Amino acid sequence: MPALWLAVIVLALAGIGYFIGRARALKSADGDIRLLHSLPSYYGSNVAMLTAVPALLVLIVWTIVQPLVVNMHVAGLIPVSELDEGVNLNLVMSDVRRVAEGLQAAVAQGALSVQAAANIDLGAVDLRAILGSVGVALGSDVTMVTLDAAQQYRGATATGQIAMTVVVLMVALGLMGYTLSKTNKELRARNIVERGVKIALISAAMIAILTTIGIIFSLVFNTIEFFRMYSFSDFFFGTTWAPSFGGGSALGVLPLLWGTLYISLIALAVAVPIGLFAAVYLSEYASRPVRAFAKPLLEILAGIPTIVYGLFALLTVGPLLQRVFGDGGLGWMDAASSVMTAGLVMGIMLIPFVSSLSDDIINSVPQTMRDGSYGLGATRSETIRQVILPAALPGIVGAILLAASRAIGETMIVVLGAGAAARLSLNPFEAMTTVTAKIVSQLTGDADFASPEALVAFSLGMTLFVITLGLNIFALYIVRKYREQYE
Amino acid sequence: MNDMRLTERKVDSKEIKIEARDVQVFYGDTHAIKDVNVDILDKTVTAFIGPSGCGKSTFLRTLNRMNDTIDICRVEGAINLDGEDIYDKRVDPVQLRAKVGMVFQKPNPFPKSIYDNVAYGPRIHGLAQSKADLDEIVERSLRGAAIWNEVKDRLHAPGTGLSGGQQQRLCIARAVATSPEVLLMDEPCSALDPIATGQVEDLIDELREKFSVVIVTHSMQQAARVSQRTAFFHLGNLVEYGETGQIFTNPTDPRTESYITGRIG
Ligand SMILES: Nc1ncnc2c1ncn2[C@@H]1O[C@H](COP(=O)(O)OP(=O)(O)OP(=O)(O)O)[C@@H](O)[C@H]1O
Ligand SMILES: [Mg+2]
Repeated sequence: MPALWLAVIVLALAGIGYFIGRARALKSADGDIRLLHSLPSYYGSNVAMLTAVPALLVLIVWTIVQPLVVNMHVAGLIPVSELDEGVNLNLVMSDVRRVAEGLQAAVAQGALSVQAAANIDLGAVDLRAILGSVGVALGSDVTMVTLDAAQQYRGATATGQIAMTVVVLMVALGLMGYTLSKTNKELRARNIVERGVKIALISAAMIAILTTIGIIFSLVFNTIEFFRMYSFSDFFFGTTWAPSFGGGSALGVLPLLWGTLYISLIALAVAVPIGLFAAVYLSEYASRPVRAFAKPLLEILAGIPTIVYGLFALLTVGPLLQRVFGDGGLGWMDAASSVMTAGLVMGIMLIPFVSSLSDDIINSVPQTMRDGSYGLGATRSETIRQVILPAALPGIVGAILLAASRAIGETMIVVLGAGAAARLSLNPFEAMTTVTAKIVSQLTGDADFASPEALVAFSLGMTLFVITLGLNIFALYIVRKYREQYE
Repeated sequence: MNDMRLTERKVDSKEIKIEARDVQVFYGDTHAIKDVNVDILDKTVTAFIGPSGCGKSTFLRTLNRMNDTIDICRVEGAINLDGEDIYDKRVDPVQLRAKVGMVFQKPNPFPKSIYDNVAYGPRIHGLAQSKADLDEIVERSLRGAAIWNEVKDRLHAPGTGLSGGQQQRLCIARAVATSPEVLLMDEPCSALDPIATGQVEDLIDELREKFSVVIVTHSMQQAARVSQRTAFFHLGNLVEYGETGQIFTNPTDPRTESYITGRIG
């Protein structure tokens, strides 16, 4: 039985269990709810929970583990003699799986009868053609060994499937019966259900945390792998970035970090003043209708996909800058892609980010602060400069650091606006590139995955991760340090 | 109400500082103040009393145009300070508020040091010639607000770190530091203990030497102790206004009498 159907049946059982459990509890109290330890619905939920959750867990684990076990079992059956030069076990096994899937599909679509599929004579039928006709294309003709293994694979899978159905249903029915037998007016059903809810919430949190840890570990392992092949100091202190897939690359991170930093700085220099002034205008000066109109409009900017900003950089801002600073103008700029182009466009992208966060923060400064200042005869700008901005400062710093993290992590605008050349230069009109853009280009090439040229992507990712983590911790520290003062 | 010291209630000045004529205040469609006429005298403490929600704070705020900061608030009628209409277009509310200071119901110190809180007004109005001058103003104001001894060792600690009562006295010191001509106080003692209340009341009495004080209070005793004139508000109307002694001993309006004796509240 397919896993999906099984899950539906288990849920249906849980639904039935809910009503039986509820009814049983009520009956044990002769219909008087006050005699029950918990509300009737808790008894129902208790039965439903114990029926569904363990059975579904078994189902999930089984579905994940079964293919691994079957794979291992069948792989053991393939004679070593088949694995001659250049053909490794994984390739053979993927063929086996395809044939098995193909046979399954052929039976399902009626191209082969069940009997025929079970006894195929390779001499009599063209299996490759039949499988091709049901949408499973094979690279070569099916060999005897592959077919045998595939039949074994099918058999084992079918047995596993039946065993799974039986076990899952037994778990569901067994626990349902056991819980129902326990259901009477003394049972503390509410406490059990509450504990179940708590465990569910904890597991949700655990999944989030564990995935994060998993991601970090995969970064760390690949980074360690990279540093086995490439020197630590050459990576961190090297000033040239020149990967060559033939080997002998120079993979110094400094030009990339410099590009990242330079572009982010320009972006923040654009976004912070404009965003902050816009926020001050919106929250302190704008009349209600203007605010109702302007704030959403500004936030639309935040919804534009970054690739669109990238196009804007490539097609509009770059050529515009080149007309002014390029050969026809001041002569500082060679091509449309430059640090300035990417920085300006990224700054525009960050404006709504800074402004909408700062606006919320400025708005949350209590009105009594403003009253106090106006009551002493302060003007609006004095009040903003001396009372509101200092009070909102920790939040604003937090907003700016968040914007900085986004700038550092941005890729699309860099790829389209800043060019691809890794370079250590002070001229903002030259093309440069950033860490993120290089991660993309290192992994999208067709390099061997185990080469330093590909693995460097992970250590670049790790470097970036450490930097943004540091920035976020610093932001938290600033916010904590100054917050107390204002409450 | 035995502790009402109703003796020596002579009003020293007959000079009118603020003159309100037919003042109406609306919040949107709510008519919060109706036809109020009142003359507030110079160098006098005037108390506004009345049940909660009757419009005392609202009327107080019209006296230095603090209502301008509320979008839906609309004021009609005339309010003259020293004979000049403060709602005239040529009047700058910022300058007006430097002359007519305000202490609010809830303490609202700025997120700055105690020193900077008090120095805020003098700095923005350029009242101090030198640092020493400013130190002098800060100390005098803090002493005036009866909080100097508690904060003299931590002038550079944040003002928000003080207790509620200390914060309120800090706010009074802050308002006094700008040397206003009129000081509006909205229930300044509602967060203070009896000792601090006594000190603030003494302070109010001293302030009367230099300027006129308008105080909103829910305490009859306080109104009787500190004020020379009392105005009783009820449902947005000014019911009765006169010498404090006369209002408390011999009110003309039955509503005033019921309120003072505790029957409307
Ligand atoms: N910002 C505002 N917006 C709308 N209505 C308001 C506003 N402020 C006050 N009001 C209304 O105006 C009326 C008078 O309020 P006000 O605050 O002046 O009363 P009060 O006499 O100071 O009361 P209390 O003694 O409780 O402080 C009330 O009905 C109140 O609901
Ligand atoms: Mg009030």
